[in-house]
Amino acid sequence: MMLKNVLFPKKDARLYMSFMHVTFASLLIGGLMGLLQTLSRSGEFQLPFGINYYTILTVHGVILGLVLTTFFIVGFQFALMGKTVGMSDKQRKWAWVAFWTMLVGTITAAITILVGQANVLYTFYAPLRAHAAFYIGLALVIVGSWIAVFVNFRQLYVWKKAHPGQKSPLLAFMVVINMAMWFIASLGVATSVLIQFIPWSLGYAATINVLLSRTLFWYFGHPLVYFWLLPAYMAWYAIIPKIIGGKLFSDSLARLSFILLLMFSIPVGFHHQLTEPGIDPTWKFIQVVLTFMVVIPTLMTAFSIFATFETTGRRKGHKGLFGWFKHLPWKDVRFLAPFIGMVAFIPGGAGGIVNASHQMNTLIHNTIWVTGHFHLTVATTVILTYFGIAYWLVPHLTGRRLTPRLNKLGIIQTIIWTVGMTIMSTSMHIQGLLGGPRRSNFSNYAGGAQVDTWISYQIAQAVGGTILFIGIILMIYIFIQLAFFAPRGVQEFPIAEEEVDAEPTPKILENWYLWIGITVALILFAYTIPVIDILKHSPPGSLPFDWPIGR
Amino acid sequence: MATDNPKKRPVQQSGNPHTGINLKGTFISVMLLGVFILVTWFGLYALFLSR
Repeated sequence: MMLKNVLFPKKDARLYMSFMHVTFASLLIGGLMGLLQTLSRSGEFQLPFGINYYTILTVHGVILGLVLTTFFIVGFQFALMGKTVGMSDKQRKWAWVAFWTMLVGTITAAITILVGQANVLYTFYAPLRAHAAFYIGLALVIVGSWIAVFVNFRQLYVWKKAHPGQKSPLLAFMVVINMAMWFIASLGVATSVLIQFIPWSLGYAATINVLLSRTLFWYFGHPLVYFWLLPAYMAWYAIIPKIIGGKLFSDSLARLSFILLLMFSIPVGFHHQLTEPGIDPTWKFIQVVLTFMVVIPTLMTAFSIFATFETTGRRKGHKGLFGWFKHLPWKDVRFLAPFIGMVAFIPGGAGGIVNASHQMNTLIHNTIWVTGHFHLTVATTVILTYFGIAYWLVPHLTGRRLTPRLNKLGIIQTIIWTVGMTIMSTSMHIQGLLGGPRRSNFSNYAGGAQVDTWISYQIAQAVGGTILFIGIILMIYIFIQLAFFAPRGVQEFPIAEEEVDAEPTPKILENWYLWIGITVALILFAYTIPVIDILKHSPPGSLPFDWPIGR
Repeated sequence: MATDNPKKRPVQQSGNPHTGINLKGTFISVMLLGVFILVTWFGLYALFLSR
């Protein structure tokens, strides 16, 4: 913990910053695509130069949902591991291999999309077919992230060997949980890409089993959202308490909540396939029940956050039922941005419970409600927390300081984001309940009466999207300042400490065999029979479709 | 229930550091959170039934 004010060696900082550069470049490109989408869907604008709507939709989803998130997470987690358990020269070398593999994969996939050879959206559902380079690029991003996974595992292993009998640092433990989840989950999509999509897109296989590919995608797709969310939880549990001048509320609670998230994030993919024919409703129900188990660690997190705020405030002498709340550091963007993220997770989480509620899913399935939902969760909760982290991490890595002026700009950025997203996401939720579809380009659907109720919300989305893009420009400006121009200094790397008299953390919480064993058992329970069913009873596979979207 | 002022007693006497902490605000906050979730869910359930 005494290391928090000591800067990383230059060679480490350069590695972590490389991930941050790709993150913020992705934010600009992906954000611009988002703006174009909302303008196009308003019906008031046409995309210039004959640009295909589904090209920009795919760029938006892939660059923000897969590239920005993965690069930020891997870079941030390397920094956390470097700070808490250290990084050897050999580990750093492999971390660079991870970075370059991911970057080559990203560029390959991005070029394929931009030249119109992969208009398949970020879910790349078969039978839409992209050029093989798209799938190969995505596979490289995943392989690169796996290298990072094993570097992180190795970092903790080496530390444990050097510190026998000691509890691992909380943040290192959390990183390893997240990477274990990512590795187990991404095996699904990697299998699908390697065995199904690449041979099929190259013409070696004539047809593809659509249901199997979608099942393998969502086996990965749901834990993917937790892969995005857990780094935000790391900040909420172990960094925000330090920023507000408090201590860790409970090391054991934090670890238990991460373990539960590991166990219940993966065997739940069917809740994305509730309207899918070909899956036995009993197994859908079982996975819905498992999905609801995730509510437990989520509410544990909410309790822990409130409790951290209250204990810290009361220790500082703030009285009354909510005196502690009034005195939180509202003028510190390192706190404010993640806090708004936490608030957005309340409607985001409540909406998620509706989405997963089996039959009630039909109310919102494939409507733009779902887009509104994940713009609250990933594009507000997660991204504002990432921004909140970047405000101290970037200057810490570049040996600069978050000045009062940049802090103020950060606060303005957070407010712009909040306003833009409130307008955009709320109108998406309402339009979704009115039946407005997601994914599709603007259409008046031959003038149906129901369609008339949608247009005002689509215009509101364009207004919200424009405000958000202004927020992105401001964020890029702040990033460039923090990376290259802010005054030299030492920005704190805030890591919360435990209470001096904290209860010892039970050793069982670090029993990796037990927790990963239960995780694998739950996955086998939830997926074995339905997947055998899918393999045995699937209809004939599908030929590829390159039109109307695809290639 | 423990009602000690934590300011006067920064170090708890019991083994559990949380016994002396007033968490009434947290209790009310999590209850409000629960109410929000229930209202949202039942509101949409009513919409589901009405369609």
